[in-house]
Amino acid sequence: MLTKTLFILLGLIAAAVPVAAALGWLGLSMQYLESPMPLHRAIGDMVWQTGKDFLLVAIPMFIMLGEILLRSGIAAKMYDGMIKWLGWLPGGLMHANTGSCALFAATSGSSVATAATIGTVAIPQIAERRYNERLFLGTVAAGGTLGILIPPSINLILYGLLTDTSVPELYLAGFIPGFLLAALFMVTVIVLCILRPGWGGVRVTHTWAERIAVLPALLPPIGIFVVVVGSIYAGLATPTEAAALGVVAALVLAWSNGTLSLTMLRDAIEGTMRTTSMIMLIILAAIFLNFVLSVIGLTQALADFVTGLGWSPMQTMLMLILILLVIGCFMETLSMLLTTAPLIAPIVIALGFDPVWFGILLMVLLETALITPPIGINLYVVQGVRERGELSDVMIGAAPFVVTMIAMIGLLLVFPDIALWLPGLFY
Amino acid sequence: MLSLVSALHRTSRVFVWIGGILILGSAFLVTVEVVLRKVANYSIGGADELSGYAFAVATSLGFAYALFERAHIRVDALLVILPRGVRIALSFVGLGLLIGFAAVIGWQAWSLVGDTLQHGSRSITPMRTPLAIPQIPWLLGWGFFVLCGIVLFVAALWTLIKGDPAQTERMIGVKTLDEQIKDETV
Repeated sequence: MLTKTLFILLGLIAAAVPVAAALGWLGLSMQYLESPMPLHRAIGDMVWQTGKDFLLVAIPMFIMLGEILLRSGIAAKMYDGMIKWLGWLPGGLMHANTGSCALFAATSGSSVATAATIGTVAIPQIAERRYNERLFLGTVAAGGTLGILIPPSINLILYGLLTDTSVPELYLAGFIPGFLLAALFMVTVIVLCILRPGWGGVRVTHTWAERIAVLPALLPPIGIFVVVVGSIYAGLATPTEAAALGVVAALVLAWSNGTLSLTMLRDAIEGTMRTTSMIMLIILAAIFLNFVLSVIGLTQALADFVTGLGWSPMQTMLMLILILLVIGCFMETLSMLLTTAPLIAPIVIALGFDPVWFGILLMVLLETALITPPIGINLYVVQGVRERGELSDVMIGAAPFVVTMIAMIGLLLVFPDIALWLPGLFY
Repeated sequence: MLSLVSALHRTSRVFVWIGGILILGSAFLVTVEVVLRKVANYSIGGADELSGYAFAVATSLGFAYALFERAHIRVDALLVILPRGVRIALSFVGLGLLIGFAAVIGWQAWSLVGDTLQHGSRSITPMRTPLAIPQIPWLLGWGFFVLCGIVLFVAALWTLIKGDPAQTERMIGVKTLDEQIKDETV
């Protein structure tokens, strides 16, 4: 049963069948092969119940929040502000890349949009200030991944849905690791630039007066972050309600920036619905597949198989991490999350690991997947924005950050409290 | 044939605007609810239920647009190294399976809505919403998705028979990187 499932799944995915259809047909064929009951009859009700789930309403809201911010023209100003605050560090603008990506990703939630937007503003600066081009590109590709972990993250909502874990708790847990990882990226750049002083380009220093003067450019994204995440942490709003507050706040911001117009709204709506419908079709298929796999007992069989190996929990965890790193080289993050979380989370929980902690660990693995070749969408996006040179430049430049992410995974393994301390204060 | 495709594409875009307005409306409704609850300790009630319906309807109305925009994700790790003929063949297989799966859901959704109408079902919430109101446009979205998929399949086949595989790939192939970046930025 295990081999059959894996075989069908890999076949469908490798044949580039749309991921939603691959998951759906895997569910339908496993039902046909293994179950005496016509499970597909439940699909209508399942699709309706999941489709109107208030928790998932957060998805279009967060996407729309990002689409509005993207079109509100704050990215360039924010980048400029980050330069003034972080440009004095060894590595100069590369820290502004990480900082802007962290902030933009935190509010927009799309890694592609983050890497593309910050990349467009940042890449022209490479030649101007004589940076090591590869490392510079690497900071943009890696920085773009931060949105998966830093709340509000859509991926954490999906993990919460699939594993029955509290989303506010996951959001609390993602806060420290998210910003810690951003800080580790900056440390990586500093260390490399101290070892190879030529890579750091021309440093820029600014006076405090200049720094204070650019604060208004940094405040809007921070303000939205505070509205959204703060209202959840303060217990004022559920994640979905916070997302709705964020949409309204982003509209007000765009309006005060003079960028709100009907054309802009129309574009934001089209972008939002295109992404929402695509994601939702995969989620609906994944929910159905999940249901079939647990009814035919595959989820249990897989968990029994893994526990039957007789490995210690830590050995099993290390093996799972290795498998996920390899899968991440070939799969896009959303598909990877929706196919692996329902199967792996039960095993991990059975071994005695905390589901919230594993959610955070899985997010770091998904971030790694975004910049590991051959398939790492952020690498392609940065190369696409750059429009010259070789893709391998971006891959080499991103490599140090893959090492940083693996170090972060190690830290989470050794000190689980990095993720669990903050939620522990509240729950 | 191609003009039918572009007419359906335009229609799907109108559906998306309707869906987007529903989502925007929900955002405002939920915001009002949260603010009133905090400031006036008063709840208008039902904001979560209504936005759930808006979401379900908006999503199903958006499937066809996502299809025309080739937004439904495919893992193309292997695809890119295959010869064009195989690539196009797999695009047809993928589209066929996507539409087939949507048709299974649409068919089950049809029987769900049939039951709702027959029993005059209402939600088990204080609002007691007649479920037919949100479910009928929701079902319409699924039906439109399947219809558009069939038309797109036939039209893409048509371009292939006419000897224009480049056009076929633009209709049902995997998006190129430039197209993806153009979609995600301003």
